[in-house]
Amino acid sequence: MVERSDGEEQGGPGEQRSSPAHPPFGKKQLPSIPKNAVPITKAASPASSTESANGTHASYGPFYLEYSLLAEFTLVIKQRLPGIYVQPSYRSTLMWFGVIFIRHGLYQDGVFKFTVYIPDNFPDGDCPRVIFDTPVFHPLVDSVSGELDVRRAFTKWRRNHNHIWQVLMYARTIFYKINTMDPLNPEAVVLYDKDFQLFKSKVVDSVKLCNSHLFDQPKIDDPFAISFSPWNPAVHEEAKDKMFAYKRLHSDPLLTAPHNQRWAEDYNKGPLVSGLSWVKPGSTQPFSKEDIPLQT
Amino acid sequence: MTSMVANGTRGDQSLVLKGVDPETCMIVFKNHWAQVVKILEKHDPLRSIVGGLGGGHGLGGGGGLGSFRFGPVPGDEASAVQNYVEHMLFLLMEEECGQNGAMGPILEFVVMENVLERLFIWSLRREFTDDMKLEQLKMYEMLIGQARQPLLHHKPVLKPLMMLLSSCSGSPSGSSSSAVETELVLLLNQLCCVLAKDPSVLELFFHTSEDQGAANFLIFSLLIPFIHREGSVGQQARDALLLIMALSAENHVVAKHIAENTYFCPVLATGLSGLYSSLPTKLDVPSEEWHCLHREDWQQLPALVQFLNSLEFCNAVIQVAHPSTRDQLVGYIHNGFLVPVLAPALHKLTLEEVMTTTAYLDLFIRSISEPALLHTFLSFILLHRHDNVHILDTLVSRINTPFQLGTVSLALFRTLIGLFCEDVMLQLVFKYLIPCNHMMLSQRRVLRERDCYSVSAAKFLALTPSCCSPEVIPPPLRKLDSILWSKGTDGSHIGTMESKEVLSEEDDCGNSCVIGSEIYLDVSYLHYLYDAQNSISHCMRACRVWSAPYDGENPPPEEYQRNTLEEADLTATPGLLELEWDDSYDACPTQLHPEEDQETRPIPDEPPKHIQELRRTAIMIVKGSYIEESEFQNDVMVYNLVAQKDAHDSAAKQEMLDESVTDQKTTNSESSISNGLSSPLDEMDSKKRGSQSNHKSLEGEDLVAQYEELIRTLGAQHSPAKTDSELKSPTDLMDEEEDEIDFNSFSPETPEAEKLPSPFGTKPRSGSRGHAVPFTGPFLSVLLSRLENMPSNSLHVNLLLTGILAQLAAYPQPLLRSFLLNTNMVFQPSVRSLYQVLASVKNQIEQCSANNKDFPELLTAAQHCLLARESSLRGQTDRIKTKPNIQPKTVVPLNKTEVYAAVLFTEFLKELAAFAQEHSILSHLPTEQ
Repeated sequence: MVERSDGEEQGGPGEQRSSPAHPPFGKKQLPSIPKNAVPITKAASPASSTESANGTHASYGPFYLEYSLLAEFTLVIKQRLPGIYVQPSYRSTLMWFGVIFIRHGLYQDGVFKFTVYIPDNFPDGDCPRVIFDTPVFHPLVDSVSGELDVRRAFTKWRRNHNHIWQVLMYARTIFYKINTMDPLNPEAVVLYDKDFQLFKSKVVDSVKLCNSHLFDQPKIDDPFAISFSPWNPAVHEEAKDKMFAYKRLHSDPLLTAPHNQRWAEDYNKGPLVSGLSWVKPGSTQPFSKEDIPLQT
Repeated sequence: MTSMVANGTRGDQSLVLKGVDPETCMIVFKNHWAQVVKILEKHDPLRSIVGGLGGGHGLGGGGGLGSFRFGPVPGDEASAVQNYVEHMLFLLMEEECGQNGAMGPILEFVVMENVLERLFIWSLRREFTDDMKLEQLKMYEMLIGQARQPLLHHKPVLKPLMMLLSSCSGSPSGSSSSAVETELVLLLNQLCCVLAKDPSVLELFFHTSEDQGAANFLIFSLLIPFIHREGSVGQQARDALLLIMALSAENHVVAKHIAENTYFCPVLATGLSGLYSSLPTKLDVPSEEWHCLHREDWQQLPALVQFLNSLEFCNAVIQVAHPSTRDQLVGYIHNGFLVPVLAPALHKLTLEEVMTTTAYLDLFIRSISEPALLHTFLSFILLHRHDNVHILDTLVSRINTPFQLGTVSLALFRTLIGLFCEDVMLQLVFKYLIPCNHMMLSQRRVLRERDCYSVSAAKFLALTPSCCSPEVIPPPLRKLDSILWSKGTDGSHIGTMESKEVLSEEDDCGNSCVIGSEIYLDVSYLHYLYDAQNSISHCMRACRVWSAPYDGENPPPEEYQRNTLEEADLTATPGLLELEWDDSYDACPTQLHPEEDQETRPIPDEPPKHIQELRRTAIMIVKGSYIEESEFQNDVMVYNLVAQKDAHDSAAKQEMLDESVTDQKTTNSESSISNGLSSPLDEMDSKKRGSQSNHKSLEGEDLVAQYEELIRTLGAQHSPAKTDSELKSPTDLMDEEEDEIDFNSFSPETPEAEKLPSPFGTKPRSGSRGHAVPFTGPFLSVLLSRLENMPSNSLHVNLLLTGILAQLAAYPQPLLRSFLLNTNMVFQPSVRSLYQVLASVKNQIEQCSANNKDFPELLTAAQHCLLARESSLRGQTDRIKTKPNIQPKTVVPLNKTEVYAAVLFTEFLKELAAFAQEHSILSHLPTEQ
């Protein structure tokens, strides 16, 4: 442990550039650690971390993880997934609350709440897990735990290639395009193949069941958990007006989502500042804008 | 007598008047007037004049007025009139408006009888002394200030007022007593307040003046001489003028008049020049740390306060005035102040003068806010050429100068970068990055990529020197400032704050950051993240007005590449000689103007005179100080050494100049020249430092160390990783100096990069010039080259440098962001990245710590010193949260630069990592248009 990290400390730049004539400072040169070294986020109790010489990774690993997840979250926002809303939990960024609105197809009108669990060695571990609050009747959803079979789509989670928005997209797709291969819920598949009408009515029942639990308290007690409440004009009317006003202003339906608005607020916080520019668009000459008279 | 009106028994009188019915007042007024008229007529030689002065009377000259005088008026009669008038005025002032805005009876009487004009003529008839003027001015001041009905709409009120004012304009400002001036400005100010409330009066004033055929818009013209006056008179005059300016924005006729018929703009602009000339040409610099004029500095300099008042006034005028006035004013400021006064001042002969001017320029830019005025200053800096060199290029080149000129220049750039001005950033940075020549072709598509997993941040933090690693020094501070992150799932103790010093707002932060297992984390990093988030989003919002995203696609690199190549060939000539001391220029032609510059500029074959002079003076300063203290044997030796080097240099310079004249294609020659030119000062810098350490610090700094430093600066300056064994002993060196003194490293045949292979990549100093060497521009190069010297830089220089780099790191444009913060980017071999420079600094620090057993203790002590410094600085700004000042146990002397640099370096890495992490979020947020 000690040696490896030491090697990393010195290896970083020196390894690429050092010429044989100039061994760095005549100190022992240790093999550098592999390029994709995993930030250490686990198994470091306070006591052992002070003993570790790999200061930076031990101390900052959690920050890397936190920002990786934040980056994932902003990617989700960017994707503008239709009918999907997610919100990281207050307690841990490794847990996201979400809800999917199904607008047509077999599962039409379904509102499915779910929770995403992200492994704490993200992005180098397993793929995130998606668990529906109420087990939806679906071939790929475990009828007891409510867990969605994510792994079939992401056999191996690859950093830079796989992103959480893809998982969310996948969670939506399964309700529009039913796949019956290797099901988690064999009963559903049997019905799907043998008695489609019964399958359909079971789906309708399941949708009803899910929707009947819509106003339940969130399963996980967390300030950022998604909770629904019946329409109450005193509470909701104003918020709705605001959202629609915002929508008209920005004509971007997705930004009306509450968490996005919060982002936008954060983004716009602070005093209004304006930079300066007299560069004509398309030019790279300073003071090329024509409407400003130039002194001669 | 006159003072009666002024200090007013009025309060009592108005009390008396209360409850008195208007009719009685009217009777009293008429009675008084009848008494006055009696006296007036008694002394009136030409009764026919009463009722109106002909329009033909010259009101401009006080001399003409004297002709009205007709025999002396007995004192008792004069004072009787005075008494009556006073009472009448009170009655007039206290009169309420009539019904439906009609005149009250007294006012009506005043208008009908032309009371005020007759009184004015009466005062003319007597000796029209300053006292008389004062009396009249005060009378109007009181009337206008206190009357309960509008008076100025009535010509019989307005006209004598204008006559009085114009009689004041006749006298050159010198001859009037200051009391008259004070009263005049007060009255004018009051008139302007009335104008501001009731713009219709403006027309009246304007046209009344026209009727008189005298100077138009008298109020305005009268105020102009007071524009630059100090004290409250000047302030009142400027306030009054501003009111008129605001009015003129709405009134085209007035605006046109101001622009075409008054000297307002020229007086204002040339006044700046005048005030500038009375500023000290050299500042008494309080300490070596000093690098910019703070409020407490300039408040000590009355001349500077006065200048800033006028500059502020220009700023305010430009803010409110009509566009025609604004354009005229900025034009005059450019042509009447910046170009003829400030440009030469920036090129004065001594370092101190130039440094002072630079500090002034920095202060001026910080003092103005109006875009049009900033435009003027910035276009002056960016576009104006003095002796054929852009001001900007000169300023950039000075960053590398020794003494305080370098740091003052840095401070100026800190200000410029903080403006978020596209034009500035384009000239300083982006125009060199747009062609994307600095990176490998394959990297262009990576440019905009997001660093999803904080890889760059991790790489920055991994540069933390082992001696500064959080585990190697677990200083008491760190224990205080750590935070326990615990696994969130158990939910019981979440984000337990271990810190006693942590501010309350971090609670949220701490709580929301619960991930992973229990780890002590550096809480200061949260501050860096928070700050980075603020500065990036601030900068992003500011840059919304920019014309292009600078993302490697817009502006398109292809369009600017060929130009750059051609330019490079064109300018690969000794044009570089124009630049002062900046060895970072060597890498590439400096004057890359992709679009402009069809004209080939004349290339001077030797540096401009001012630069030669400046350099000479600098040399003299250094040598002078050396000679003074030459009783120290060591200094003499160093001095001799440098003198020899100088001799070589000047010889070399001549040689090079000859060569470049005959053979301009020798592409390497100019790099040698500029190296030759730049080295004397570099070595002086080191000499200076050497001497300081010799005199100030007697702890262990021996001669050898001095030589080592000198040698490092002379020859191996750019390969800081050289080991001890390579440094020659002083005596060896002396011998060698006799023949060649490291001179080879400057010769064209052996580029330094080849001669001294650096383990950290070659510097783009003296590569071949025939083709365009990839280059990130002089500004970035010089910043990085100074940063590379971090261990030997003084603390304040490092604070400035890292501060500026942090400012740059906040910019969201992918071209700059990727250059500074993406550690995965692959750049052209000749381009030094920030990461490479930091790696070099890290190794220098590792070396220092390896060579010094006490390093860890010194580090901890330096940390304490810096904390104490910070808390004392905080204490200065906010007194509410004054903590007891932390007194460090041991004070690490500031000349232990490498110790402070190590602490600062470690913190800077955190700062950069925080910027990299925040960019990975903020720069990719969908922005609403």
